[in-house]
Amino acid sequence: MRDAITRYEAAHQAMGTEFTLVAYGDDPQYLMAVGNEVFEEIDRLEGQMSIYRPKSELSVINRTAAARSVCVEPKLFALLVNAVDHSQSTGGAFDVTAGPLMKAWGFFRGKGRIPENSEIAQVLRRVGYRHLYLKRAERTIRFDVEGLELDLGAIGKGYAVDRAVEILRHYGVTRALVSSGTSSLYALGAPPGERAWSISLRNPYDSEKAANVIYLRDCSLSTSGNYEKFFKQGDKTYAHILNPSTGKPVENMLAAIVLAPCACDADALSTAFYVMGVERSREYLATHRDLMALFYLPRSRGQGFRRVILRSDGADAIGAFFTKTAARKRRATRKQTSKVSPSRISGAWATAR
Amino acid sequence: MKDEINDDLTRRNFLKTAASAAAFAALPGLAATAENAGPNDAVRYGFVGTGTQGCTLLRFLTTIPAGRCLATCDIYPPNLKKGVEAIGSRPDTYEDYRQLLDRKDIDAVLIATPLYLHARMVIDGLEAGKHVFIEKSMFFKEEEAEQIRKVAAAHPKQVLQVGLHRRSSVLYQVAMEMVGKGALGRVLLVQSRVTTHSSWRRPVADAKYERLINWRMYREYSGGLMAEMGSHFIDIANWAFEGEPVSVIGTGGLDYWKDGREVHDNVQSIFDYSGGGRHYFHCMLFNGHHSNGVMIMGDQGTLDITDDRGIYFREPVAKISSGPAKENWWAGATVSKAAAQKGVVIFPEKEAKDSGFVDRERRYARQWLASMGVYQPEEPYDPYWGELVNFFVSIRENKAPVVPLEIGTADAMAVIKANRAIDTGLKTSWTKKSA
Repeated sequence: MRDAITRYEAAHQAMGTEFTLVAYGDDPQYLMAVGNEVFEEIDRLEGQMSIYRPKSELSVINRTAAARSVCVEPKLFALLVNAVDHSQSTGGAFDVTAGPLMKAWGFFRGKGRIPENSEIAQVLRRVGYRHLYLKRAERTIRFDVEGLELDLGAIGKGYAVDRAVEILRHYGVTRALVSSGTSSLYALGAPPGERAWSISLRNPYDSEKAANVIYLRDCSLSTSGNYEKFFKQGDKTYAHILNPSTGKPVENMLAAIVLAPCACDADALSTAFYVMGVERSREYLATHRDLMALFYLPRSRGQGFRRVILRSDGADAIGAFFTKTAARKRRATRKQTSKVSPSRISGAWATAR
Repeated sequence: MKDEINDDLTRRNFLKTAASAAAFAALPGLAATAENAGPNDAVRYGFVGTGTQGCTLLRFLTTIPAGRCLATCDIYPPNLKKGVEAIGSRPDTYEDYRQLLDRKDIDAVLIATPLYLHARMVIDGLEAGKHVFIEKSMFFKEEEAEQIRKVAAAHPKQVLQVGLHRRSSVLYQVAMEMVGKGALGRVLLVQSRVTTHSSWRRPVADAKYERLINWRMYREYSGGLMAEMGSHFIDIANWAFEGEPVSVIGTGGLDYWKDGREVHDNVQSIFDYSGGGRHYFHCMLFNGHHSNGVMIMGDQGTLDITDDRGIYFREPVAKISSGPAKENWWAGATVSKAAAQKGVVIFPEKEAKDSGFVDRERRYARQWLASMGVYQPEEPYDPYWGELVNFFVSIRENKAPVVPLEIGTADAMAVIKANRAIDTGLKTSWTKKSA
């Protein structure tokens, strides 16, 4: 009976979206029980990190850390350290303190609004990771400004995906895919008989069309895009990803997609790269390893978009590849390009549907 | 860029399940039938029992040309007067319903009298050759089931309809389509309630009329809350489980309105159905939170109906299959699921006949709007109106009515058994019918 292949698929609503888990194994009961463990952990993380729940640990930190140091649960503390590292390395493009800006623009529960410049300036005074003081020895956090708020919306779902993968591995699951509402996913191993998991990257203008198809194995992928959470006023569209330094929505970007060994990093960096744009992201990748980034950029006219792909050192080892032909072509041409080269994408490297 | 609504809809397959169920709720052409009736086609009826419920029905009857009221009857003169005012025409009036039944020019009789009179009047009506519409609960005593069945069998050409009006509600029809099509998975629990903060008492000018006016309060005439309130939802559960219960336990008490009444002011009961289904019903008169409604709960979804609003919630369920599947997953910005968590409002679908692509898209969009509270669902007509039209149509077209004898019997029997369980504190079972 151990030869029988069982496929398990389940969805679970948490963190304002739907987590999906697909796993292969030989025992349906066992897979269901492992799935329950995964979703229980995701629920626990939501209970800990939600800014929509006043009793969550993160809400308690937000209410208290300006007044006094707050002791933080070890894993959440590690996540906050990781978040601050990402803030530092991205020059603040990723910033877990940008929550008040989201509120000013009405993206927190509301329907979207345009704040006055004076209001933005006001809010920016209490935004910035530099106001965070994390003491590793005591595992405490302290804010040096009143009104600062942590918001893990740009890293928490990726973190939850990583925790899910940890649980799957712990229980011996070797073929699985975890997705947090499509924005962060991790491909563990490959489906039976396949080399990798096939992932369609959403066309930024059409949810039913794939802009690219990518194959992942033991690799995570995160997307930050302008097409899910936005509002329109007049002719202009305001998307929910805000530049923490200007306090305004990022423009001229449709989506930034990052591939990384873990979903937590992919999640944080997809937001950072979305804010940083192609050139600054390229600089980042020049000094970091094991990352790949893909940008969908708007054309000046019409609904077309331009693709740009960037790779860091070690990118070829992270378990992401496009079609077989594309991979071969890329290998063949790799020597002619520099290590970190913006490839202007033609149809050669990926299948576009 | 496509608009947000359609983007959301195309992704949510479960909405389509709901939509296909909603689309099935075609209007049975009642309105047209009612309007088309010429004066000579109209069913000539008499109305017996023009109290509060009787007048409610009479007011709906004023807008149904398919029926013509020739006579009304009530033993309490003020109610008789109210009934004449309600129907607005000039019916002949009687204090004795048998005189009304004696009239040869009357085809049908509608009965909205106290419960203990139901069986006798139904039998007399049928034996007088009339089609009969009887308010729920159909009968008061267990043995009356067989008495009515025999008489009805002896008069097969006469329509006998029971006034369980939710059977004529498009909302409930959609709900049952969803149950039937498996949108909720395997239905295992129906939870229903009627809650109100009310003495349930009608004003009595002269104390000698107390038992006549407030007959619902006295066990000699009334099955209490289970009969007057519970019967509606007992029928909904029977409908959902496609059968009648096998046993019932219950409790209740007179704990709040200790004003001389005999019936309980709160009752709780659990009905078991064969195959594992259960129906929990409770009713109270000291708190109106949650109003009245029913939750139909399956292993794949919940339908939560409160008053005239039905909301569908999907139950996330793991899918197990054997062998590898074609895996193709999507990546994109976070898909919001806030609306899905709030449930999807179901509503009657007026353009059910046309299933063209554009109409379907519009329907999905409306449903999506409904789930955001933008589009309010509504019944296309009042279920009371619907059941009354159905009665006349059944007579004219010689068809089975929407609530025939069998449905009314199962409902009334469950009321009686539940009251027995409450009064004895014992589990009460249905005897197995011989095949």
